[in-house]
Amino acid sequence: MVFSDNELSRYSRHILLPEVDVQGQEKLLSAKVLIIGVGGLGSPVALYLAASGVGEITIADHDKVELNNLQRQIAHDEQGIGHSKVSSCYQRMININSHIKINPINDKLNGELLLSQVAAADIVVDCTDNLTTRFEINQACVTYKKWLVSAAVIRWEGQISVYHCGHPDSPCYHCFYGGRNDSRQNCSNSGILSPVVGVLGSMQAIEVIKLIINKGDSLIGRVLLFDALSMQWESMQLPKNPNCSVCGS
Amino acid sequence: MNITLKCFAGLARHLPAHAKANAAKVEINEKMSVHQVIDFFKIDREEAYLVILNGVFICPPDRDSTILVENDTLALWPEVAGG
Repeated sequence: MVFSDNELSRYSRHILLPEVDVQGQEKLLSAKVLIIGVGGLGSPVALYLAASGVGEITIADHDKVELNNLQRQIAHDEQGIGHSKVSSCYQRMININSHIKINPINDKLNGELLLSQVAAADIVVDCTDNLTTRFEINQACVTYKKWLVSAAVIRWEGQISVYHCGHPDSPCYHCFYGGRNDSRQNCSNSGILSPVVGVLGSMQAIEVIKLIINKGDSLIGRVLLFDALSMQWESMQLPKNPNCSVCGS
Repeated sequence: MNITLKCFAGLARHLPAHAKANAAKVEINEKMSVHQVIDFFKIDREEAYLVILNGVFICPPDRDSTILVENDTLALWPEVAGG
């Protein structure tokens, strides 16, 4: 791949990093990432990955932008109220970087549509807001042995991890939350501090970039837990559950 | 015997008054399981979904059989699934 002067200028701060360099930026430009949900978490993920030059990004969401989203969902603005979140997010992404391919899916990503989109992606980013959807995404990622970068937030708290069932030490999301029915609590009824989604979404984008350029240590087998109120992080080992009904042997 | 109990987010209200930075040295009975410790401090098992013993996640089926020993650190977090 030969970079144009514009590309060299646009990505120069990445290329200056020895861990990225030209080769890493080439990998980013060749990568295909699926972002499911472009609300609180998905907004910073989508904007950072677009700015970083991830070559093909699919964004999926079936919601419309509402006024109460604007407190934290930074991909959307007042002009987008009443419009689909993917169209609103698409416009922000393309305004940042018009040289990448963005596929907006204004639909609920489940069933065959979910499977086909996961199969086509290199990395899946779970930015959804309920356990039922998270389990379905996890199942698809296990089926197609895809990287899953998953984060979640509520109130002042957040967590993030990375899963890949092709990796011998990796648990799957079901190893973690499999004993749970759908959550009684969500951001709509419990609240969420605006920048908490920015912190966790930004960290998802970092993990995606590290996976694409194959540098650093991923969060496989670990979960980071964040309590913004006490400003503390906990790192937790998450062992693979050999009896897991999704990824167990 | 003594252990360190850490409670985060909304669970911090269960910590004793001498807790600092979401952690407190507490005294429990010998040979208590993870679930027995959670019950001992009158914490709702459903609310304390994320149970971490010495930095390792303890999955729900193992919480009756996992026994704490002196100087263990038990950390509790609520479930997080929003986005």
